[in-house]
Amino acid sequence: MSMATAVSLRNPAALAPRTAATSEGPLVRWLLTGIVAVFLGLFLVLPLMMVFASALAKGVAVYVASLREPEAWAAIRLTLLAAAIAVPANVVFGLAAAWAIGKFDFFGKSILITLIDLPFAVSPVVSGLVYVLLFGLQGVLGPCLAAHDLKIIFAVPGIVLATIFVTFPFVARELIPLIQAQGNEEEEAALTLGASGWQTFFRVTLPNIKWGLLYGVILCNARAMGEFGAVSVVSGHIRGRTNTVPLHIEILYNEYQFVPAFAVASLLALLALLTLFIKSAIEWRSKQQPAGLEAAANQEGPA
Amino acid sequence: MSIEAVGITKRFGPFTALDNVDLNIPSGELVALLGPSGSGKTTLLRIIAGLEFADSGTVRFNGSDITDQSARERRVGFVFQHYALFRHMTVFENIAFGLRVRPRSLRPAKSGIDRKVKDLLSLIQLENLSHRYPAQLSGGQRQRVALARALAVEPRVLLLDEPFGALDAKVRLELRRWLRQLHDEIHITSVFVTHDQEEALEVADRVVVMNQGRIEQVGAPDEVYNYPATPFVYRFLGNVNLFHGRIDEGQAYLHDAVDQGRGTNLEGNTTVYVRPHWLEIRRQPNDENHFRATIKHINSAGPLVKVEAVSEWGSPVHIELSQERFRDLQLTRNEAVFVTPKEVKVFDDEPAA
Repeated sequence: MSMATAVSLRNPAALAPRTAATSEGPLVRWLLTGIVAVFLGLFLVLPLMMVFASALAKGVAVYVASLREPEAWAAIRLTLLAAAIAVPANVVFGLAAAWAIGKFDFFGKSILITLIDLPFAVSPVVSGLVYVLLFGLQGVLGPCLAAHDLKIIFAVPGIVLATIFVTFPFVARELIPLIQAQGNEEEEAALTLGASGWQTFFRVTLPNIKWGLLYGVILCNARAMGEFGAVSVVSGHIRGRTNTVPLHIEILYNEYQFVPAFAVASLLALLALLTLFIKSAIEWRSKQQPAGLEAAANQEGPA
Repeated sequence: MSIEAVGITKRFGPFTALDNVDLNIPSGELVALLGPSGSGKTTLLRIIAGLEFADSGTVRFNGSDITDQSARERRVGFVFQHYALFRHMTVFENIAFGLRVRPRSLRPAKSGIDRKVKDLLSLIQLENLSHRYPAQLSGGQRQRVALARALAVEPRVLLLDEPFGALDAKVRLELRRWLRQLHDEIHITSVFVTHDQEEALEVADRVVVMNQGRIEQVGAPDEVYNYPATPFVYRFLGNVNLFHGRIDEGQAYLHDAVDQGRGTNLEGNTTVYVRPHWLEIRRQPNDENHFRATIKHINSAGPLVKVEAVSEWGSPVHIELSQERFRDLQLTRNEAVFVTPKEVKVFDDEPAA
């Protein structure tokens, strides 16, 4: 295969020819594009602009002051802390789960895959309640925890646990299909060449899944910082102590402090935009990589 | 390094992949494991490599038991069917991998690794592609890189799983001749798996014919081809016609028309095998030793002309003849001819098919 063909295989889906037979007339095309544009404008762009407009309604000075206010600042720090614990924990969990599911056959594998999806399926409020029932004062483990002076519910550990729970499918779901598709052969090759388990993981497996992993981390992080329902149940809304950014926004809003509410909300909106940008960059980048080339070439069948 | 497998049995669930297999491979030989899919040949290769472990049995390298050693400890070179090159590494890095992952005390210096990889690159004639990624190589080039990568660690034996299976016909032919030459130069004990009898017969010093988890025959290419031990070997190593036959007083009869005049101890009904090129087409009957057939199809593309005919008792017959003979006879479709078997094969312990 020449270099030119290899490159043309980069993204077979994107380069799939649109033949005359499968394309529609200009009227249909404009109509469909128009519907999508109106929909996006009304439900996405307009609200997003409203967030920033309301946040800056009383000028930049008020905006900055709203963010520097101690309770807002405490909420930001708590959100960063929760994400800083939840994301690495889910990277480890996601890698382990994807590895186990992708590389081995074992009893209960399909049940495990279903369980990983559970946080997507169940309402976040219910996940929060489960923790309250488990760790709360009247909960199953409550007396035991109280005896050892450990506080989980209405405290930071509860918020971290709830965040981990609602975000744990992200990394695993991203990696499972990737690892399954790649199979065992490269690892087997590394093994016969004398590599140890760790060498195989860091030199062969990880480079092959790094873009998928990063993608999962980005999505996981966005969710960890934005989570409302589950955290709301376990947090107790103690100002300056157990309020995360989304909870703080709700409180401000309920108190009719619109400018500070939207100022803090604009942080989450910026995070969302940043996440989308990084996600697109990763997608673009992973297609430029030789690993992407290889995957595309393999889909075309053996050369 | 000789390889010895004794009493190897391997099951996958209810399926028996290998059934008490014994195999002895002398040092320095190039051996083919030949068989149809599901015959257990790849499983046997992977058990020798340590990528799969037998349910029972022993594997020895040079007489020492390595059954419980991992693939990492066995120091085998393994070439995978789909190459399994590290896709995020260049050709150079792929070949260097086995040297770079060695423990510090055994790892060659950087200059040593460079020299070794350059030597291997020149061996596989890809010096100027060392900075390419696997995706930027053709199938044949990838296969050669996979081979160089396996050889870089100076393996004790070289194992190749369907090494030419994924290549197109012309590249396959070139590459297998190249492998044969390479083996003649470096004399490393090598085992390759194939389902292509032509490939096995052309490349290997010795062919191991496998079927349904057992070894049917082991021998030099001419031995297994000319003296097949079982009907399976005879059928697998080339096209063949099967006829109902009868043996009466040491004479083999095809159907009941043709006297084959071939001595055997067997009596009664049997299956008679005839290779297509041992059937001769004539326009005139040849004493008693012939049967009648009608020509149905002629394919004269290639070195041999392939004729499909229907015998007088209604079964299809494949015949091969030289282009020269074909021109002399001037055969046409739907023509009635006489067919004389010049050489037939009967297996002593086989009832009629």
